[in-house]
Amino acid sequence: MNNYSDAFAGGKRNILVADDEYINREMLENILSEEYDVLKAEDGEMAYEMIKQNRNTLSLILLDLMMPKMSGLDLLALLSEEPDLKSIPVIVLTSDQDSEVTSLKKGAYDFIPKPYPQPDVIKARISRSIELAEDRQIISATERDELTGLYTIEYFYRYVNQFDKYYPNADRDAICFDVNHFHVLNERFGMEKGDEILKRIAGRLEEVFSDTGSFICRKSADTFLVYCAHREDYSSIVDQISEIGEDLHTAVKIRAGVYSSCDKKLDIHLRFDRAKIAADKIRNKYSVSVSNFDEALIDAELFAEQLVDEFPKALAEKQFMVYFQPKFDIRGDKPVLSSAEALVRWSHPTLGMISPGKFVPLFEENGLIAKLDEYVWRRAAEKIADWKERLGISVPVSVNLSRAEMYDPELVDTMEQIVSDNGISTGDLYLEITESAYVSDSDSIVNRVKMLREHGFFIEMDDFGSGYSSLNMISELPLDALKLDMMFIRTAFEKQNDTRMISIVIDIADYLGVPVIAEGVETEEQYLALKKLGCAIIQGYYFSKPVPASDFDRFLLEKKGS
Amino acid sequence: MLTIEALKAYGADVDDGLTRCMNNQAFYLKLIGKALEDPNFKKLEDSIAAKDFDSAFEAAHSLKGVLGNLALTPIYKPVFDITELLRARTEMDYAPFLKEISDKKAELVALGD
Repeated sequence: MNNYSDAFAGGKRNILVADDEYINREMLENILSEEYDVLKAEDGEMAYEMIKQNRNTLSLILLDLMMPKMSGLDLLALLSEEPDLKSIPVIVLTSDQDSEVTSLKKGAYDFIPKPYPQPDVIKARISRSIELAEDRQIISATERDELTGLYTIEYFYRYVNQFDKYYPNADRDAICFDVNHFHVLNERFGMEKGDEILKRIAGRLEEVFSDTGSFICRKSADTFLVYCAHREDYSSIVDQISEIGEDLHTAVKIRAGVYSSCDKKLDIHLRFDRAKIAADKIRNKYSVSVSNFDEALIDAELFAEQLVDEFPKALAEKQFMVYFQPKFDIRGDKPVLSSAEALVRWSHPTLGMISPGKFVPLFEENGLIAKLDEYVWRRAAEKIADWKERLGISVPVSVNLSRAEMYDPELVDTMEQIVSDNGISTGDLYLEITESAYVSDSDSIVNRVKMLREHGFFIEMDDFGSGYSSLNMISELPLDALKLDMMFIRTAFEKQNDTRMISIVIDIADYLGVPVIAEGVETEEQYLALKKLGCAIIQGYYFSKPVPASDFDRFLLEKKGS
Repeated sequence: MLTIEALKAYGADVDDGLTRCMNNQAFYLKLIGKALEDPNFKKLEDSIAAKDFDSAFEAAHSLKGVLGNLALTPIYKPVFDITELLRARTEMDYAPFLKEISDKKAELVALGD
């Protein structure tokens, strides 16, 4: 693009005079040389070459229409095809009135008749055209995204709003296109290739949405927005765009979030927020490439936002309740209470009891989980101390540690502090660490677990069977119990009582010299089968659902009495 | 030597021509000298002789622009007329126009001798 600031590089602006008549060239140069640096071309081809060479510094072209080798009109047509040349203003030199109109239609800014008018008139027309072109360029520089040439977001919204004003009843879709894991492409192939991919996507979008009334912009890195006539299906369009990666030997996976037949009463930003919400819903689903917005999504999003907003207040007001689910040792004749797991519930003042499945994943995502977990650890420790003091009975309680907490260098200190604050011992607090945490970054996590264990904490590997740890690795992991993934139990008993996998896990536990804990046990049949297989400890609705601390006393009293 | 006075006597609109030359007399006179060497005079005659009216029109059109800019009215007029006739590709006897142009050019050349 003809750069505005480069135009002044030599102090004077540059003008090209393209005319095959020596006298005309000389005459114009004589008129203009005081204010401009004048370049001269004798025919159309020479003019074209000089324009290309001086594209960044040329402020204006004075173009004779009748020239050898290439006519002025042909040259105009050629310039209009090249984005960085068509922004240079052209004034046509002609003695024919017919040609004046034709050249204006072909993109000329103005014309100067022959014989030439007064030099002042020529100069005024030239300076006016340059001014117009430079103004226009400043606008277009902010209107277009530098990399792709698509609209920038501000102008995109402006044009869409303008369109809506003129066509309030047009059925329009708001679409948000993203590249799945674009940062990975950037890292694998480098920024340059990444930029190339973005440019190709932009080009393909322009092809696909070439009809008038379609607007396209690049919103940010790899996010493109399109506002267009309603279509029933976008999957073939997504496929078409994804094709741009074919010769790059990589899969460029595009996903589209569609807010179909959008509500014009909604602000344009909100309409595209909805498209984006739909797109984000399939961020990690490789098999789905188009996602349609529906109201339920906004409800889910609003609900999540409400929970996050209200978290600090809920924590301060102790809306989070810690429930306890007993674990029984079933190795003897009669099941005996061995420990309990502390589980969190949210007793919300207006929403009622919210299950952890709704807020734990959300808080894991934004880091709030650390505060919540520490709260639960403290409540559990308080309860252990309370039972000892009030009932004279000691029952360990297990608490959950999330993956993020395993990276906290203060973790061991925090745990020790909690234990000492409540006057209990480290052996009273069992820690449940999910198997997938061990696998994801084994070295640093394994070291942290080792430290916890050295301090006397009892480690249960949670969700065992879901995290794909290798058998080779397991023997080296620091752990005191294996806790079978709940799904393991469920599927084993659903499919013709196929308990062979459970029996393998029990063998592994035996080999490691640790007990197996089965959770999610719901029926007597399951209980008996697990007991027969040699499972040590059982947790589940068969014995009791998680109960408030006050209700847990009965299990303790029962144990004490027996 | 060609002078401004001689050009005035010839019938040129000297003031008009000089304005386009930013009132630089030497420059104006130099350009007139160059105009007399313009190959389009010969191209016009040859093209008409060959009945190549496209080429003849191009030559006449170019001359018209140059002579008009220099305000050499007596020779500009027949060139202007022949250009318009050739634009319509009129089949006719162009000899009288060519003679008129040739005469006026000769007059102009004589001014400089």
